[in-house]
This record gives sequence, C-alpha cells and structure tokens, in this order.
Amino acid sequence: MEQVLFIVWRESVEALLVVGILYAWLRANPAGRPGLRYLWGGVAAGLALSGVLALLILGVATFLSDDGQQYFQAGMSLVAAALIVQMVYWMRRHGRTLKRELESGLAYNVARANWWRLFLLVTIAVAREGSETVVFLYGTIATAQGGELLHYAMAGTVGLAAAFGTFWLLQLSSRFVTWRLFFRVTEVLLLLLAGSLLVGGLEKLVSIGTLPGLVDPLWNSSALLDDSGGLGKLLADFAGYRAQPALSVLLAWLVFWAASVSLLRRAAR
Amino acid sequence: MARSGALAAVLLLSAVGARAADMPVFKITIRDGTISPTRIEAPAGTRFKLEITNAGKSPAEFESISLRKEKVLGPGVTSFVVVNPTSPAQHVYFDDFHPQAKGVLVIK
Repeated sequence: MEQVLFIVWRESVEALLVVGILYAWLRANPAGRPGLRYLWGGVAAGLALSGVLALLILGVATFLSDDGQQYFQAGMSLVAAALIVQMVYWMRRHGRTLKRELESGLAYNVARANWWRLFLLVTIAVAREGSETVVFLYGTIATAQGGELLHYAMAGTVGLAAAFGTFWLLQLSSRFVTWRLFFRVTEVLLLLLAGSLLVGGLEKLVSIGTLPGLVDPLWNSSALLDDSGGLGKLLADFAGYRAQPALSVLLAWLVFWAASVSLLRRAAR
Repeated sequence: MARSGALAAVLLLSAVGARAADMPVFKITIRDGTISPTRIEAPAGTRFKLEITNAGKSPAEFESISLRKEKVLGPGVTSFVVVNPTSPAQHVYFDDFHPQAKGVLVIK
C-alpha cells in the first residue's frame, strides 16, 4: 500500500516541479497572467495524453520493437529538455520587462508563441510521468480485492495530496524568499531537471547503439553513491547523476551546462 | 489499415526475432515484488538479450540505471531488451514499482 502512496507522490512531484515553478512565475508577474490558461490547458492535455500513452504501453508495447520504444522515449526527453532551457532563457530575457513590452504591443507575438511552447512543455511533463502512474494504478487496482480497493484508493489520494503539499510548499517559498532568490533557485532546479532529461534521452540512444558511448563506463562510483536506490536514485531522477556514466553522455552534459550558463549570461545583459 | 499495421508489426517482430535469434538469452521473471534470478552472469563483449516476464498480477517496471534500460510491463506480459557489448561491470536491476525486488547482472 505504501508503494501506491510513494509512486503516486514521486511521479506527480516530477511533473509538478515543472508546473509549480511555471505557475509561481506566471502568478508573480502580472504580465504572465495570460499564460496561466496555457499552463492549465497543458496540464489537462497532459492528463488526457497520459491515458492514451498508458494504453499504448500496456497494449502495443509488446508489438512495437524495442528500438522503436527507445527512440520514442528518447525523443520525448530531449524535446522536454530543450523546451525547459528555452523557457528559462525566455524568462530571464523578458521577465522584468514583459509587462511593459506587452502593453506597448511589442512582445505580444513573442509571448503568444511562447505560451504555446509552455503548453507543449507542460503537456510532455505531465504525460511522461502521468502515463506511468496510470499503468501502475491500473494494474494495482485491477488486482485489488474488495477491502483492499479502499486502502489503495486512500493511499493514492494521500500520495496525490502529498504531491500537492510539495507543490504548495513551492508556492509558499515564493512568498517568503525574495523574488530574485526564488528566480535563481528555480532556474537552477529547472536546468538540473533539463540536464537529467538530456542524460536520460541520450542514454536511450547509447543503449540501442545509435550514439557511441566512447568510453563506457568511464568510471564506477556506485560504491560511493549508488544510483539505484536512496539518495543516489533521487539524484539520478532529478539531476541526471550516474554512477557509471558513458563518456559521450558526460561530454554532452558538460556542453549543456556550459551552453546554458553562457546563454543565460547573455540574456541577462 | 489495421490489418496492414498488424502485418508491419509481425514483419518487424520477425525481423527483430531473426536478428536476435543467435544472441544468448537470459530470462528474468518478476512476480508482484520479487525478481528472479537475483544474479546473472554474462560474457563481456557480446550482445545478449534479457527476456523479462511479468508473471505477477500487478504491473512492473524493469529498470537498470547503469544498463540504461527501462521497461513497463503489464501483468502477464513478456518482453525483452537487448544489451550491447560492454566491458566487465556489475549492473543492478530492479522493479521500479516494487523497489525492494533487486538483482545484479555481472558482466565478465
């Protein structure tokens, strides 16, 4: 039962991290208000897509080739990573002046194009995690008997409530820390998440041999920090930590951070 | 349309099957929070196949971070992943929906 709770919480938090940060930002900036509709639209579309993806995973996955599935998952991760970086960059660039620019009509088209990218980002973030939750719950509920069902439903609800509690804490923190600090912290969180998506996506390509690993694995730090459980697993899911990284993926990760930092520096000017 | 889709899937499957036929196969069974075997030894430098069966009543997610494999399996589903040649190493695999179910794949 605690598995239901934990998995619902974990899968929801990863999606809510993206949704929560964007929500706090859109709320805090008057010019961001029009974007809220796209945000919730993305959540709704993501939930709907979750159901469809879950059916695909349960039904079609056995017919689709292994490589095909890997390409699909890699594609989703890489697109989401690119969208996060683009969003962070855009916020840095237009954050302060967005309201004025919108009023003078200068940023209207830019803003609208970006609300659609925000919609897509939220849809992918929710669908990615949501589909797994659906598969997990579907199977668990299907096998539950009588009294168990109530327990599972309760555990699922508690897990979801815990996820929203985490979401609420995030919103609360935006009220207690200065806007500037909140912005800095969430930028780093989002970039860590984007880096993790990048690592995950590229590793899928390495595992099917599309991308060479070069030196694979480059080292093994699983004795120091194991990535298959506990803190290491958390860091693996949210920040892209790997105990046994491939050289090519590590290089891509370094390029990602160098490019992101220089891009943000340029945007701040 | 549906028929041609099914045909394509069958052709694709048999193509994959033909290519995979000469690979060593290791079978893994997941059953509602247990995974067996808990230790597999494979030779380094050869492609091999992990055939994973979910014999339980609840869904499972076969996962190995260091092998870079993730596969969601509904109850009663059998699927496989192909592992490309790697150097000697130890890889932990587990059921991400029941994280206490763990095993280790030793490549040597």
